[in-house]
Amino acid sequence: MASVTLRQLTKSFDSTGRYALRDVSLVVPDGEFLVLLGPSGCGKTTALRCIAGLEEPTAGEILIGDRIVTHDPPAKRDVAMVFQNYSVYPHLTVRENIAFALEMRRVPQGDIPGRVAAAAERMEVGDLLDRRPAELSGGQRQRVALCRAIVREPRLFLFDEPLSNLDTKLRAELRSELLKLHRELGATMIYVTHDQIEAMTMGQRIAVMQEGRLRQTGTPADVYERPADEFVARFIGRPGMNILVGVADSGRGKRNGGAVVRCGSLTLPIALAYEGQIHLGVRPEHVTVCALDQGEGNAEVRVVEPLGSETLLHLDAGGQPVVARLPGLFAVPDGQQIGLRVDVKRLHFFDASGARIA
Amino acid sequence: MRRWAGWVVGAVALLPLLASGWAAVRAERALAARLAGTTAAYLALVTPAAPGSADYDLSHLLVQAGALARLPGWTSRLEVYRGTAPLVRATAGSLGAATMAALRRVEVGVLWWNGSALVPLKDKDGRAVVGAVAVAAQPDGETWRRGAFGGFALPVFFLAVLFAFSAVRAGAQRPSIRVHAAIALLVGLVAYANARSAARDATDRWLEQTRLLVQEATARLPTTDVARLATTIRPVVRAAGEGADLRPGGDSAGVRVRRVRVAGEPQAVVAIRVGWGRWLALRTRPAESETGGWLWLCLGLAAVAPTVAALLRWVERSRSRPQRLRETLTAWGFLAPATAHLAVFAFAPLVFLFYLSVHRWSLIEPAKPYVGLENFGRLVRDPLVWTSLRNSLLFTLQVPITMAVALGLALLLRRHSTIARIARTAFLLPYVSSVVAIAIVWQRLLSLGPVDWLGNPGTALAAVMVVWMWTQVGFQMVVFLAGLQAIPDAYIEAARVDGANAWRRFWRVTFPLLKPVTLFVLVTGIIASFQVFTPVYVMTDGGPRHGTDVLAYRIYQSAWEFLQFGYGSAQALLLFALLFGVTWVQFKLMGKRVAYA
Repeated sequence: MASVTLRQLTKSFDSTGRYALRDVSLVVPDGEFLVLLGPSGCGKTTALRCIAGLEEPTAGEILIGDRIVTHDPPAKRDVAMVFQNYSVYPHLTVRENIAFALEMRRVPQGDIPGRVAAAAERMEVGDLLDRRPAELSGGQRQRVALCRAIVREPRLFLFDEPLSNLDTKLRAELRSELLKLHRELGATMIYVTHDQIEAMTMGQRIAVMQEGRLRQTGTPADVYERPADEFVARFIGRPGMNILVGVADSGRGKRNGGAVVRCGSLTLPIALAYEGQIHLGVRPEHVTVCALDQGEGNAEVRVVEPLGSETLLHLDAGGQPVVARLPGLFAVPDGQQIGLRVDVKRLHFFDASGARIA
Repeated sequence: MRRWAGWVVGAVALLPLLASGWAAVRAERALAARLAGTTAAYLALVTPAAPGSADYDLSHLLVQAGALARLPGWTSRLEVYRGTAPLVRATAGSLGAATMAALRRVEVGVLWWNGSALVPLKDKDGRAVVGAVAVAAQPDGETWRRGAFGGFALPVFFLAVLFAFSAVRAGAQRPSIRVHAAIALLVGLVAYANARSAARDATDRWLEQTRLLVQEATARLPTTDVARLATTIRPVVRAAGEGADLRPGGDSAGVRVRRVRVAGEPQAVVAIRVGWGRWLALRTRPAESETGGWLWLCLGLAAVAPTVAALLRWVERSRSRPQRLRETLTAWGFLAPATAHLAVFAFAPLVFLFYLSVHRWSLIEPAKPYVGLENFGRLVRDPLVWTSLRNSLLFTLQVPITMAVALGLALLLRRHSTIARIARTAFLLPYVSSVVAIAIVWQRLLSLGPVDWLGNPGTALAAVMVVWMWTQVGFQMVVFLAGLQAIPDAYIEAARVDGANAWRRFWRVTFPLLKPVTLFVLVTGIIASFQVFTPVYVMTDGGPRHGTDVLAYRIYQSAWEFLQFGYGSAQALLLFALLFGVTWVQFKLMGKRVAYA
């Protein structure tokens, strides 16, 4: 088992001249399940491939354990990787697939069948050992791919969106199985995904990336409740956080040290002394509706999305789009004016550049 | 189904009958024409010329013509004209001056005049046209009826019409169409049998009538030597056209017309007694042996009725489903060009190849007789065929070597660098260049060194193989490059993470995943290798001492240099069978496709 350390990792593909990774520094302690989360093209897969040794970073260092492996070939890093499109060799049976890595590492022939059987048993593919991948379902193939990873007992597991080709039900099933595996093996795992449900449910810590940069690293609760910047705030949560653009005025503050923010048709008192343009973040669940003129302002109903257990109201508050998440079913005609109440204690403050103020 | 449909199909079912009647008329007319030619030649032989002239003595001509018309056993209606005046029946109408003029213009050949075949009668020197000989054919209508309704034709035609009605009856089921098709086949065969028997009959009658002429001529000639007789009378027989001949020989066993084979060709022969123990053999190519075309015509016409019936039923059925009808028509509309192209340029030549392979067929010989499997028997006995087969198999040994080189190049040159791109182009160039040009260049190159590569039977084949490999390697490399590109990177990357080095990655992952491409290259390589011709033709001409004589070259030489197309076709079929086997194995192996991901 080993920790992973990235030091100012930078990678650019010369053809585009853009950076896929820029000064990414990250420490993954031994035994942690870290999720690299971000929209497509954010560099998360590149970071993973650098750790695996499939890409060579332009600058920076990678340490696995105490060893600098930046320029080592993959074979020397003792990592296992599971790819998005299974990458189970189609010309080999399941048994041969699982044994492949052991043979490549010159594990004594006598040990191989036992280890293959054990790994297959653990991933519940014991009865598929003599089939070929073409005869397997997507879920079964990915189980075989996992088998191939665990049979080697590597120091580090890397997952590159391993569940994104599966349907929802299988995904949920394999998610819990992966977590179980992590608990049992206690191995360090780095898991790349663009699916925040996977990230929130699986990661002990989440590293959010955007445009090659690391935006925030923290527990799922941290990332959700204290997003480091506007991007993370918008990206995490579904729908993401509402960002209201307004102007803070401390002079008319009602309380000591506070300010009043006017944004669109809303007037929000905040407990922060600030002058000038400010971005207020508020999660949809902290926005409710009330009778006209009873809340922080009025807004017009644009779209109503009844989801059964909750209803999403898309509102227009004087040019500011706001989404409110209301419990249960809520019937309101489109175009209706309605009062809006914002839980001001749950506001997040960002400056005009998107950085968190407090 | 509409009422008229039955009548239409019934009428169409009688089409083969038209054909067989027409065949009979043609045979009858051909007989009249041949007889007229023979008779004219006979008269020219036996009638003495008037003194001081090449023209015949009128009184002699009159006697000969009269004698001929009254000859016992002579069955044809004959008229001989001196100038335009009839000699046999003086009361018959004279030839018009216009007819005479036309006859002079025709010189050789036949004019049809009042239901008779009219041929010019030339003077003793064979120069000026001095008269004409007319042999009347039986009236066309009578011949036609005999040809069309003879034999088993009537009951069979009755059956055909009956089933034509039943096939288009409302609600007719498939079996009735099938029965209809079988009946149609029978009709076609009966019609052909009639056409053939009419031709056979015409041949027999010509032989019998000509026998009379030959006997008459023998009596009027001074010599008794059969060889001289045959030589003297031969022009009479030859006047009937190509294929007729008169030779010494024969005996009393042959007084009836017989069919024999002479040098593989069918002949109709009759023996003529010209004196005590002296016989001449009169023979001709039997007309029925050249009725193959009628067989196809009769069968084709017979197939029209069932086709029309099936078409009518299909239209009837699809009328209730117009969308389906439209779809079907559209589908065929799209398929038609490709189908026509395939039919004309692939299937038709193949069928013709099969046809050629069972015939002795040469561009310059008019006789193209059916010889059965003779060409194939010759094929097995021909040591050159075995040599070329061995050379072709040896030649194929270059395929795996070329493939290995091509795969190596593909692995080396799959990078995205400029040098790799230039190198890829360079290696592909020989493949897209003219093989003839390449072969000539290599011929020169190979003659430069101290070793005469192409002149030595031990090295020539290897030298041609090297040149061929050089042209093929680029193509195979491109196919391998495409195959390598199709392998998802993930497999290779997974292998790298699994700890496989480059050597093992290739042998354990890349090469197995490349299997379908490798198979494709192997099979196309073998096919191309068996078909190799141009470099051999240009560089060595199959030599030295047949050292580079490959199958394709053998076929070429048999057909185009020795003009034995039948034999060449049999060799081509051997090649076809070989390649068919290779392709079949390919399909068997390709059936188990490797699926990526």
